[in-house]
Amino acid sequence: MNKFMQVLENVLLPVADKLNNNRYLTALRDGFMVALPLIIFGSIFVVLANLPFLDKLIGKDAYATYQSALGPASAATLTIMGLFVIIGIGSKLTEHYGGESLYGGVAALAAFLILTPQTFEGVNGVIPTSSLGAQGMFVGILTAFTAAELYRFFTQRGWTLKMPNGVPDAVARSFSALIPITLTLSTFLIVRIIFEYLPYGSVQSFVYDVVQAPLTSLGSGLPATIVAVLLIQVFWFFGLHGQIIVNSVFDPIWYALANENLQAFQAGEELPHIVSKQFIDSFIVGMGGSGMTLAVILGIFIIGKSRQMKELGKIGAPAGLFNVNEPIIFGLPIIMNPLAFIPWLLAPVIVAVFTYFVMATGIVPPPTGVIVPWTTPTILNGALATNSWQGGVLQAVNIFIVFTIWWPFLRLMDKQYYELERRGEGSTDVNKSA
Amino acid sequence: MVRILLACSAGMSTSLLVSKMKEAAESKGMEAEIWAVAQDKAFVDMERADVLLIGPQMRFMKRKYEEKAKDYGIPVDSIDPVSYGRVDGKSVLEKAMDLIKK
Repeated sequence: MNKFMQVLENVLLPVADKLNNNRYLTALRDGFMVALPLIIFGSIFVVLANLPFLDKLIGKDAYATYQSALGPASAATLTIMGLFVIIGIGSKLTEHYGGESLYGGVAALAAFLILTPQTFEGVNGVIPTSSLGAQGMFVGILTAFTAAELYRFFTQRGWTLKMPNGVPDAVARSFSALIPITLTLSTFLIVRIIFEYLPYGSVQSFVYDVVQAPLTSLGSGLPATIVAVLLIQVFWFFGLHGQIIVNSVFDPIWYALANENLQAFQAGEELPHIVSKQFIDSFIVGMGGSGMTLAVILGIFIIGKSRQMKELGKIGAPAGLFNVNEPIIFGLPIIMNPLAFIPWLLAPVIVAVFTYFVMATGIVPPPTGVIVPWTTPTILNGALATNSWQGGVLQAVNIFIVFTIWWPFLRLMDKQYYELERRGEGSTDVNKSA
Repeated sequence: MVRILLACSAGMSTSLLVSKMKEAAESKGMEAEIWAVAQDKAFVDMERADVLLIGPQMRFMKRKYEEKAKDYGIPVDSIDPVSYGRVDGKSVLEKAMDLIKK
């Protein structure tokens, strides 16, 4: 067993390193981070604008007025989140190359807008917000990568205007960005013109049909979700931060799905997807942290006889309430622990499948697309994410499922520790005894 | 005065460790500035630290940190998983001091 683990670790560590050090994936992750405060701001106002029962309390007309008063908060942030992600990616990638990050960001934004249709239902000079949000997300990501690369290419070629000495620094910088930006944006203009003569009509609809729609429909399915969840668990089992590694690949898909749900939610339509960013964040991770360890803490309090377990419970519980669970993962320990392997891998997958079917049958509504910060305590985050009390109840049921799966394994671990302590060997590292 | 920087994905779990390390430093009568940040901020904060310790779950980033740390001439290491899990401030503090001395 130990040898097998050693081999796996030798495979996983370089994979994690590669994924985390890939400049495009890093820029993507950091780009989303730039947009995150705005997305959360917008999400809070979607929750406030859609408080359950409020329409019955204050009447239909007053409720409509209330909703339209709060509307701009999310319209200016969530609905057009693609724009912020693009600026984020463009500037972070440019920063990576040591360039002027702000120019990289705005060049990416302008490149994206050049590719975006500027008519809506026959009216010219109008950009439909739909193409600035979820629908434009993939064009936005690809554009931001390309724009930042071109901007770097032209800058490194030295095709810049050099100002004589004595010209203020800020002026010199804006002139030095002039030629690279002109060349970059001209390239995108040419691409746009070419696409107007092609059957697809625009880059937006081409990328949407050929890249985004197939990817998101794959990502919204149960098989891909199980693979993602399993990968997160396997990485963590070796003590590597599974979320960070797996999310860098899946986040664009999960965010796009979430935003499509949000648009439907705000329009009062049926939610199109079950799996989305919040499905993972609130129902797989948001119950004590990765692997839903709130149930494990509960188990420790109920079963724990050994000193090691009791101590761990005291350290782990307060952090676990806010979905921080490294004390449990490294302290139980879960990593590299053969006794923890089965429940650690099995529980999240079973919960994912169970949650999926409960939402598919409509007993619990799927997440609305509102972003709930990942440190929001369980039950509350499930209710907020689905805008329903059922979401909270489902989490309680899920915790019970995880608890049941862990029960026999936790008992075995506790018994082991207890025996060791009784024989006076103190708390011992199970890695050695296993 | 020693300055110890800790980093993990969001700076959440390492901040638990920070409070325990501060207690340990205090009981030894040491003057120490100990703080935790999210993974990206560590690249910036490294400038004013004597040592960087990263959570074991972020050890795949060690190489990247080490490259940057060369510029400031500070040591980087990942925290031992057992001490991390037990939130053992005392032993992590000792490790940090060992690294600085080297």
